[in-house]
Amino acid sequence: MVDLRVKIGSIELQNPVLLASGVWDFPYTKMIDFKRLGGVVCKGFSLFPKEGNPPPRITETPCGVINSIGLENKGLENFETEILPEAKKLGTPIIVNIFGESIEEFKEIASKINGVAGIEVNISCPNVNRGGESFGGDPKTVFSITKAVCEETELPVIVKLTPNAANIEETAEAAREGGATAVTASNTFSGLVIDIDRKEPLFKRVTGGLSGPAIKPLALYNVYKIKNAVDIPIIGSGGIADYRDVLEYLIAGAAAVQLGSIIFNNPLAPIEILDNLKYWLKENGCKNLKDISKK
Amino acid sequence: MDPTFRILPVLENKKLGPYYKITFEDKQICKYAECGNFVMMGLQALDPYLPRPFSFMEVNEGSFSILVKVKGKGTEILSKVRKGDQIKVLGPLGKTFCPPEEGVLIAGGIGIAPVYYQAGWMKGGILFYGAKREKDLILIREFGKKGFKVRTITEENGGLVTDIVKKYAHELNGKQIFICGAIEMTRRIKSILSEEQIDKAYAYIEKRMGCGLSGCKSCAVNTLEGYKLVCKEGPVFPLKEVELG
Repeated sequence: MVDLRVKIGSIELQNPVLLASGVWDFPYTKMIDFKRLGGVVCKGFSLFPKEGNPPPRITETPCGVINSIGLENKGLENFETEILPEAKKLGTPIIVNIFGESIEEFKEIASKINGVAGIEVNISCPNVNRGGESFGGDPKTVFSITKAVCEETELPVIVKLTPNAANIEETAEAAREGGATAVTASNTFSGLVIDIDRKEPLFKRVTGGLSGPAIKPLALYNVYKIKNAVDIPIIGSGGIADYRDVLEYLIAGAAAVQLGSIIFNNPLAPIEILDNLKYWLKENGCKNLKDISKK
Repeated sequence: MDPTFRILPVLENKKLGPYYKITFEDKQICKYAECGNFVMMGLQALDPYLPRPFSFMEVNEGSFSILVKVKGKGTEILSKVRKGDQIKVLGPLGKTFCPPEEGVLIAGGIGIAPVYYQAGWMKGGILFYGAKREKDLILIREFGKKGFKVRTITEENGGLVTDIVKKYAHELNGKQIFICGAIEMTRRIKSILSEEQIDKAYAYIEKRMGCGLSGCKSCAVNTLEGYKLVCKEGPVFPLKEVELG
């Protein structure tokens, strides 16, 4: 029997495969047996509702997808009354992704979140004017927000890093110093798509966030860099499409992984990945996840 | 019915006017498909990465068809599938509705596909149908058999569908109207209907989609009540509610 359990700080997961924020909604329960997942990260929410960006919000690139959603969400109150009670029925650890446009907003949200496995601090969305990536690119701000959130909550705090920072080791270190339990590496890469008919950027906000297999080597490299520079558990995220990608992330130094846009391509991917991961471990004589890295 | 995700073999790929009618065999999807439903179609690859939404064009007892117009990389590959090729199919998706026994359908180009499916749920009415060229007009005889009076127009031979809608606006009075076509066409029809004070009209809205399951929040359409997701609250919306800017 292969033991897939993993511990990230005080968060205990039955396996290292989580669903990332911003890709799933409750209709996915018809496709995926959530009880089998390591956990899920809920769609990011802010203190007040955000209507999101004007369409178009998505387009495809080779082996990838670029989005400009803009954190559409119904705010903290709706999250507490509508989403969280439903999420708790999923039978898997819940990590809530929170977004603030100021340190005060982050603090207020963090102080009100209870009864979940952890908080993921979104300081890395590339598709909003305030907060998001503008916070996550600056190590000092990363430190201040992480510290402020950690002071407001007893829950484990995971900081979701932007790959668009000048130096991701520095922002990871800032999160660690601020008290983060772990970091998620990483959010989407800023990118541009031009509408050749209109002869201008496709998205109204010019850039979007690129995800999918196209970015996997880049995101994987970020995990590797952080692992070698900062003493903090890493949740790897970016372009995972099958179990081999999960293995690459784990070998590069991730403690767990998040699956994102692959569920658009194949809603059954999380369970297929888990089954194949388990099979590979068994075939390769691994009793647990630590054995993967043994040479 | 809950949507299912399956890998289905192509039963047939047949050229129909400038389009490709692709048929799949699947009893379950056929059993539960209703007016307003659509499916996401994906290829067995990571590139193209995203599935594409298609309304049903036809649903029979054990098979269903979609209509593909080549617009980009994904639809080009889809247009070339052959019998037996495996396609990822997620559906049925979307909010269903109960069409009236009689009503008016207005279609432009490939917008004919979902209204053709809708016509199968109705006893008759009028179809206003426009296309670029005469040879692009499809399914006209079939609409006749379904009890529809058909009025057509083409850009190469007379003008736009909006021209015939305007000309025969008196035929629209008191009827429920369903529109499927390009955004510009739908916008013009909205203004004609508004002039005629006809408000029982609905539009099929097309948006780029990521997942079809409201996970990605990509397919937002602006409405009087703010953004709504086409995959969840559409694809058919009351015309007066949607902003077609």
